[in-house]
Amino acid sequence: MDTTLSETQRLLRDSLRDYLRNEVPFDRIRELEREGGTDQALWNYLQGAGFLALPFSESHGGEDGELTDAAILLEELTRRACVIPFLETTVSALAIERHGDKGLADEIVRGVIGGTTTIVPALQDSTSGNGASPRVVDGMLTGERLFVDYGAEASHHLVEATEDGEAGLYLIEASGEGVAKESLSTIARTPLAHCSYDKAPARRAGGLEALQFLNGAGRALCAVQCVGNAQQALDMTVEYVGMRVQFGRPIGSFQAVQHHCANMATQTLGARFLSYRAVWSLDQGIASDRLIAKAKALASRAATEVTMQAHILFGGIGYTEEYDLHFFSRHGKERALAWGSADECLRVAADTIDEVQPWQ
Amino acid sequence: MEFGWNKELDVFREEVREFLSEFDTPSLRAELANRGESAHAGPEQTRLREAVEARGWVRMCWPEELGGEGKSQWFQFVMTEEFAKAELPFGSGFGSMVGPAIHRFGTEAQREKYLPGIWGNDITLCLGYSEPNAGTDLAALETLAVKDGDDWLINGQKLWTSAADTASHVWLAARTDPDAPKHRGISTFIVPMDTPGISVRPIMTMSGGRTNEVFFEDVRVPSDALVGEVNQGWYIIANALDHERVWIGAGGGLRHIFDRLMAHVREKRPALLEDDAVRRRLVELELDLDVMEGLVLTNASIVASGDTPTMEASMSKVWTSELRYHISNVAMDLLGREGALTEEANGFSPLDGELERTYRSSPIQRFGGGANEVQRDIIARRGLGLPR
Repeated sequence: MDTTLSETQRLLRDSLRDYLRNEVPFDRIRELEREGGTDQALWNYLQGAGFLALPFSESHGGEDGELTDAAILLEELTRRACVIPFLETTVSALAIERHGDKGLADEIVRGVIGGTTTIVPALQDSTSGNGASPRVVDGMLTGERLFVDYGAEASHHLVEATEDGEAGLYLIEASGEGVAKESLSTIARTPLAHCSYDKAPARRAGGLEALQFLNGAGRALCAVQCVGNAQQALDMTVEYVGMRVQFGRPIGSFQAVQHHCANMATQTLGARFLSYRAVWSLDQGIASDRLIAKAKALASRAATEVTMQAHILFGGIGYTEEYDLHFFSRHGKERALAWGSADECLRVAADTIDEVQPWQ
Repeated sequence: MEFGWNKELDVFREEVREFLSEFDTPSLRAELANRGESAHAGPEQTRLREAVEARGWVRMCWPEELGGEGKSQWFQFVMTEEFAKAELPFGSGFGSMVGPAIHRFGTEAQREKYLPGIWGNDITLCLGYSEPNAGTDLAALETLAVKDGDDWLINGQKLWTSAADTASHVWLAARTDPDAPKHRGISTFIVPMDTPGISVRPIMTMSGGRTNEVFFEDVRVPSDALVGEVNQGWYIIANALDHERVWIGAGGGLRHIFDRLMAHVREKRPALLEDDAVRRRLVELELDLDVMEGLVLTNASIVASGDTPTMEASMSKVWTSELRYHISNVAMDLLGREGALTEEANGFSPLDGELERTYRSSPIQRFGGGANEVQRDIIARRGLGLPR
């Protein structure tokens, strides 16, 4: 048991943190939010630094690292509000590598590590009521997926679809025939698309096991994104209230402000523990849907409540477009809903309450 | 990052479990059930404690210079956790706080005189800290110790002195320099409770437990009752409190309450579980327990890695104490009127009355042991670095 980062993990985190601080100014994020698209320069850097290869098997050219390492990078990317399909590509390629089609795995993982392939999941979403669920007939996929992160930007989609009544994952070339992408604007202003497939050529990438891993890993890593947003808002708040002077003293010296900060820090730390434990248990092959759902429920709340409390403590300056705090409250709220909102996740945990065992 | 246990700790955990199953006898259970809120250890409990000491488990994680083996703090964690799971009492009470302080600040003679007794439990301690005008602001204490020839003459009053009625000695903080700044005029003493001039009066609390006020009237003690240098007491107290920082296994009892609540609902009130709103409230409690576990493990991780936690112990304290109220409150609400029944309502009381008992005894966890407001100050100032 050790919740602290290892020396290697610390180095990993610090090296990416330094790069982002120097090379990815928030105005770059503003530009991307305004004009759409993803940060290709950043993707190229991650590729060159070997950061895209961490969790993949050496036999596919990877680093044989852990999903936990990718989570540490993801948190840093989140804390800079970066606009790249890192989560999506990592979990999609890992689902194929660990649980999917063996033949496809080598091609896909090498493409990801080489920086040429980006894959995003196009999954069943509990809130999507319209559109036809995708079906595959004779290697052609037809149907719709409503909420596909980076659906218009990625090179491939990994679509949840049924074939002969059985659910599975299918790989689609996003720029290929029969794929239509319509951008949807969200509170985060990060890329999201409504995708329609009309006899799009599809390759089978995995079955139920791969689908389950993809859902679990996506949800667990999204919990880490929630934690990253909360942590960044907390750190910015602590720095700000420590220097903002009113009534002749820093407002951070007032107990009312201090106690808000103490509660924010406690909430963030609790969510952090559960989220990283969920990611770690995926690596160990001992994750349960219930454990992951509980982590995401807590992380979703932290991403919402901590970032909003930050606005209350900042006052006017944090409310301006010019200041950077809104990235984390907007992105935080969007991530709180992605891969299962707190409510959806609590329902999963509540419906499986029979699984609760006495302490042992 | 690693969220599982290594082989060595798994083996040790198994060893503790075997040990406990051997000592977990009906006579010990009967003794524990009948002791009420008394701090008196009966013969079975004493036997258990002596066996724990004989295994070297009390001090195994202490640094070698304090007479320990310098093992990883995780051994202590695992052991306390297993005691909590078995619902058996662990520890030498306040001795585990005071012992290291005497070891570090006492003379060779004092170590020889007190430490074997503390480890063997022949010496039991109460803490003479709080006073009528010195609670959260402990350094404002007024009990006076004046040098009289070779002796010290002590006068004053202590309050909320739990276990004063059973302890053999009091670990006392007294003012030795009224003119110095308040943190610099305090000294620490170890004083036998049967010294003439000491009187103890009971104070009963709403939990049903007993605490005390202790009066010192011209209490004369020899010079070797002083531990450490004159006026070094505040530093020594802070150091003694440091050993409590790890805040280990503190939430074990809460996990048991949740388990018992689940068992009661499954067995006696299964219809409740058909209700979405009820399942949802139960899951919320489970999540709160998960967070508690996370905070406790994070704190322990920092300690085990050799660092000093700045705010994580306080986070654990705040969360656990507030959850003690919350979990009993929600459970009582879910059960309705039966939630209010005490253990005397034979045959009708859910969880043998544990819910109302926990609810009643929850306030002290929040205001005691460093009030939660002060803990939040510590999180903000020492942890987050906010200004005073």
